[in-house]
Amino acid sequence: MSDLDRAIAQLRACRPIPEAQVRELCHKARELLIEEGNVVTVTAPVTICGDIHGQFHDLMELFRVGGDVPDTNYLFMGDFVDRGFYSLESFLLLLCLKVRYPDRMTLIRGNHESRQITTVYGFYDECLRKYGSANVWRYCCEVFDYLALGAIVLGASSTLEPSKQKVTASSNSLTSTQEYLDPDIEIEVLSSDGGIVKRFPRQKTVKTVGGNKSSSPAKTGAPGTGASGSSGGSVGNPGGAVLCVHGGLSPLIDTVDKIRLLDRKQEVPHEGAMCDLLWSDPDEIDGWGLSPRGAGFLFGADIVKVFNHANDLSLIARAHQLVMEGFKEMFDASIVTVWSAPNYCYRCGNVAAILELGEDGSGEGIISRSNGEVNRSDGGMPGLLKEKEKVLLSGPARRYRVFQAAPQDSRGMPAKKPVADYFL
Amino acid sequence: MAQAVPNPPNDKKRVKVYELRNNDWFDRGTGFCTAAFIFNEVSRQEEPRVLVQSEDQPDRMLLETRICKEDGFQKQQDTLIVWTEPTNGVDMALSFQESEGCAAIWKFVNNIQQQLLAIGGPDDALSDDIAIDPFNSPISLPTPTLGSLQDIEAQMRGLHNTQPGREALTKYVITEDYIQKLIPLVEMAEDMEDLASLHRLCNIMKTMILLNDTAIIELAVTDDLVLGVVGALEYDPDFPSHKANHRQWLGKEGRYKEVVRIDDEGVRKKIHATYRLQYLKDVVLARILDDPTFSVLNSLIFFNQVDIVQHLQTNPAFLKELFGIFGPQETDQERRKEAVLFIQQCCAIAKNLQQPARQQLYNNFLGHGLLSVINFALRHADVGVRVGATDVLVSMIDHDPQMIRQTIFRQINEKQTPLTDSLIDLLLVEADLGVKAQIADAIKVLLDPGSQNGPLDGLSRANGDLVGRSRAQPDPQQAEFVKDFYDDSAKKLFKPLVDLKDRDNMDFSVHQVSLFIYLIEILCFFVRQHTHHSKYFVLSEKLGQRIAQLLSSPEKYLKLTALKFFRNLIGLQDEFYNQQMTQGKLFEPILNLVIETMPRDNLLNSACLEFFDFIKRENIKNIISHLVENYRDKLKEITYVDIFSNFIIRYDQTQGFAPSMENSFLDTEEDTTKRPETGRGNRWESGIKDLDAQEEEYFNTSDDEDDILGKASSSRASVNGASPLSKPLVDYPSDEENENMDTDLSAGILEGADENTPPTSATKDTEKSPLLPSTLLSSPPEKVSEKRRREEEDDDEMTKLSQPKRRNSSSSVGSNTSSVLRRKKSFTNASHTTGGSGGKANKIAISLSPAIKTGGESPGSGDSGS
Repeated sequence: MSDLDRAIAQLRACRPIPEAQVRELCHKARELLIEEGNVVTVTAPVTICGDIHGQFHDLMELFRVGGDVPDTNYLFMGDFVDRGFYSLESFLLLLCLKVRYPDRMTLIRGNHESRQITTVYGFYDECLRKYGSANVWRYCCEVFDYLALGAIVLGASSTLEPSKQKVTASSNSLTSTQEYLDPDIEIEVLSSDGGIVKRFPRQKTVKTVGGNKSSSPAKTGAPGTGASGSSGGSVGNPGGAVLCVHGGLSPLIDTVDKIRLLDRKQEVPHEGAMCDLLWSDPDEIDGWGLSPRGAGFLFGADIVKVFNHANDLSLIARAHQLVMEGFKEMFDASIVTVWSAPNYCYRCGNVAAILELGEDGSGEGIISRSNGEVNRSDGGMPGLLKEKEKVLLSGPARRYRVFQAAPQDSRGMPAKKPVADYFL
Repeated sequence: MAQAVPNPPNDKKRVKVYELRNNDWFDRGTGFCTAAFIFNEVSRQEEPRVLVQSEDQPDRMLLETRICKEDGFQKQQDTLIVWTEPTNGVDMALSFQESEGCAAIWKFVNNIQQQLLAIGGPDDALSDDIAIDPFNSPISLPTPTLGSLQDIEAQMRGLHNTQPGREALTKYVITEDYIQKLIPLVEMAEDMEDLASLHRLCNIMKTMILLNDTAIIELAVTDDLVLGVVGALEYDPDFPSHKANHRQWLGKEGRYKEVVRIDDEGVRKKIHATYRLQYLKDVVLARILDDPTFSVLNSLIFFNQVDIVQHLQTNPAFLKELFGIFGPQETDQERRKEAVLFIQQCCAIAKNLQQPARQQLYNNFLGHGLLSVINFALRHADVGVRVGATDVLVSMIDHDPQMIRQTIFRQINEKQTPLTDSLIDLLLVEADLGVKAQIADAIKVLLDPGSQNGPLDGLSRANGDLVGRSRAQPDPQQAEFVKDFYDDSAKKLFKPLVDLKDRDNMDFSVHQVSLFIYLIEILCFFVRQHTHHSKYFVLSEKLGQRIAQLLSSPEKYLKLTALKFFRNLIGLQDEFYNQQMTQGKLFEPILNLVIETMPRDNLLNSACLEFFDFIKRENIKNIISHLVENYRDKLKEITYVDIFSNFIIRYDQTQGFAPSMENSFLDTEEDTTKRPETGRGNRWESGIKDLDAQEEEYFNTSDDEDDILGKASSSRASVNGASPLSKPLVDYPSDEENENMDTDLSAGILEGADENTPPTSATKDTEKSPLLPSTLLSSPPEKVSEKRRREEEDDDEMTKLSQPKRRNSSSSVGSNTSSVLRRKKSFTNASHTTGGSGGKANKIAISLSPAIKTGGESPGSGDSGS
């Protein structure tokens, strides 16, 4: 067993690793992350996760529901730390997994991955308490500066494969449906034990819209069906890629390639493109609006549509906002908020969700995209447009797994470690 | 049971009846209210009832409700009675025209309810207003025994649900020494391995602590009781299979170290109590703490700390002994070490104190020789001690760098080694990265010419009005200080960089790499701050060339740091540096770096592109000419982005920016926008930022997208060589500002939005998302100026950020209640507008008791989803 595997085992047990090991880990992580672009390219299948916020046991629950690393590929959209009691263990575990399985883990930066924010919202204090000095916090903040700002998921399937997860005995009636999956299913919502909560067929033509709508009760579903209000089927770009960022769009960024022109190795600034990517929120407005957060912007459906069209995206996945149902699709399913911290702050009573994008077996979904390798200047658009005509199905098929906070007894005592000695 | 009840008020009282439907108060009509005993056919008993007879149709009853103990009647203001109908759970309200009418009905209702409670068994919600009747405590809990715990728990839970109940319970617990009576049961139950009782005891303790009463909490952490209290809290029924070990942590002063004997018994007690309070807050109650209790704990801790520090620093004998430990007669090395850690803790606590108290503490410490202690500790073999020393130093520098500089002047005058030189020596040899980082920070702040203004209170920092302040006259002493530094110390500091001259091999040890990174970061800072001195220093020591060598290091992050140095130079838009770079052919290695990393999309490549994109954006003609004239072929090679071909095009179109073309179309576009990037201040920020009045214009008119990246906090950073603020890690507001903040926090959670905002640009709720005209993907016209305007108006942007750390006054409780009071008022006002069905504001009135019950802590209540 390598040191790294030992560290992973120890962190999985929610026990912090020694300072020297953290330094080593951060060093290795930095080597890896420096090689990543500001926008990392990821190929499906991948499971996209939102905010974690130091809720270690819920992160374990997430891995239980979504499948363990390295069997499942994960993309975490930032905000690993602050607020929860185990920011340190959560972030270090994710970082260990990143170093151990670099191709299977993608971590991007959230607005909480910042020195200023962590000094106020808990991570700094936690490090100080757990190690007696701020060194570990410094190492981690150094790593934050290297985290990518976004990710592009390519090759997502437009049909759902049957779920890999075992279906428990209690939901036997569902097993049969699990084996056969209607290729027209665009969105599937599963509970944490794999049972089907809700399915939404794809809108094919205008005529069937009414029928579909009526068959999907918009307001009264189980948790997670909050999406149904606006997700009767996407009209997104067919076969397009999925952009993942923590916050949202920026008025300074009209193409994904513009993100590549940022020097990301810095503390999250208070304004500018990098700040906006980590701070903005979608909202029911036209165009851009001031954000009540004081950083980033609000942006409306028109902004998302133009951006998705210009960049050949079918969907933007983002985190950053608590949604009680765990996920929320907006603007004709052109953008989705994924939230992965159940019972946020141990008191909000929300459920969490992760978003699974399947691999396109046909190979047609994988469209070579200019990710800086070649021809960056024209964005590869001509090629893409041709592809678009061939593929008739719209946006990627999405499977949401909704889960609740880990049961209390799995958590152990939620003790923060106290200061060892005191003089005053 | 009826005999004690006064005669029911039978004269009719004019009243409106409201019912809560779909969160709106529905007006059931106006009528006359009576309260009386009515004979019930079914139960064959007289029952107390409240009746309202319709005004318009006297034969119609608008309301007929039985008074029973469950419905929790409450009187609000002078003319309101509210309750929940027990049969159907509907919230009801009676709004009286006359306060006398209300009082009469209330007297009846209240009497009945008290009687019902008195006879009504344990788990009643108490609706009595204790304040009215302080001598007749209506509650009485069973004598604590293992057998009665279940009862006690149930009763307490019931009482905890209403504000009067909580008040009554609080009083009862204190007057009856109830905690003392419960504590023996813990051991008893443990002996009998009676887990159920232990769980109950835990719940009871939690309930009592969450009563949020200072007296109870202070009592719970006294020497006699604390072990019993936390003992009970070890058995949390939420974790039935676990037992915490709080007693082990808190037992027997085991973790307390007394470096110098503290004679005052009271102070010693306070020290222990403070530790226990912190333990309660951080460990025992961390999971269940609500906002009011959190702030009560914090304020208790705060006031204790004020007392303790005040006592210690005004105690000359104590200070003498403390600093005497570092004298020659002390032989115990361990004691010296502990003394350093003791001072470290003092200074950590001092960060929370008010400015004058802190000032006094540091003055006293310095007077007793703190600097020599730091000197000693910085060289200590134990890393922990070195960390302690740098912590003390940095917190002092954060507090008031000028104070330290004065001391350094004195040292220089007395021909001692100045502290700066000691720090430089240490930086060069220190192995611990944490200590190194702190020292690098300390050097930056000490040599920051802008921060000579002495301590700034939190208010003005938060306010952003520093621009004016920090443009104050440069202090001649500080100028002298900087000059001395460049004459001598700077050479020592940057020697490792200078020594690169004769080195071809760029393989370094980890230690060396990190040293170079810190040195370059410090140099970047100096280049921005000491415009004059640093220029000639960089030139004469050929630091540009040396750092360019590092661009070929195999360590990517060293390359990045070196690149950042040059990005800083061109960001200054200073012709002097531009010339140094062109003459030294320093762009060549950077271009090579682009070509080297070109096929890949990685951090280094992006940073390089950003570098050249800046030149393109700013249209720095001399650099573009230089690049095209010398590296045309290389530029042509790089085709995957258009920046480089754009250079060539611009150059060719203008014949090398020939003078005749000066005013061509290229210039009109963006020539107005020359501005140095003189942002500075926060030591975490790379300094590539800018912002000043005229620059806004650039931002608004810019047709280029990714420029403002660097625009940072610095509406407060000033233009010219003035004012980098020495910011502490977090800017703490002064205490008075805390009040309004506390409610904001809970409100934030309630809204479900992530309420944290970056420190410099928080907005107030009143500004919530005013919409901007939709301009697709173009820069939003209003934002920057809008933001700045807000910053100027907004006093508490900083406090907003920092407040969760310091909810140390009980004000949150206060503000909670007061906001509730405001809401109540709006209810009464609205409900008397004739025929009005009570607007939206009304529905809040009923939530009075829940609002108090849960304090700020009720994010589950409905609208958390955003």
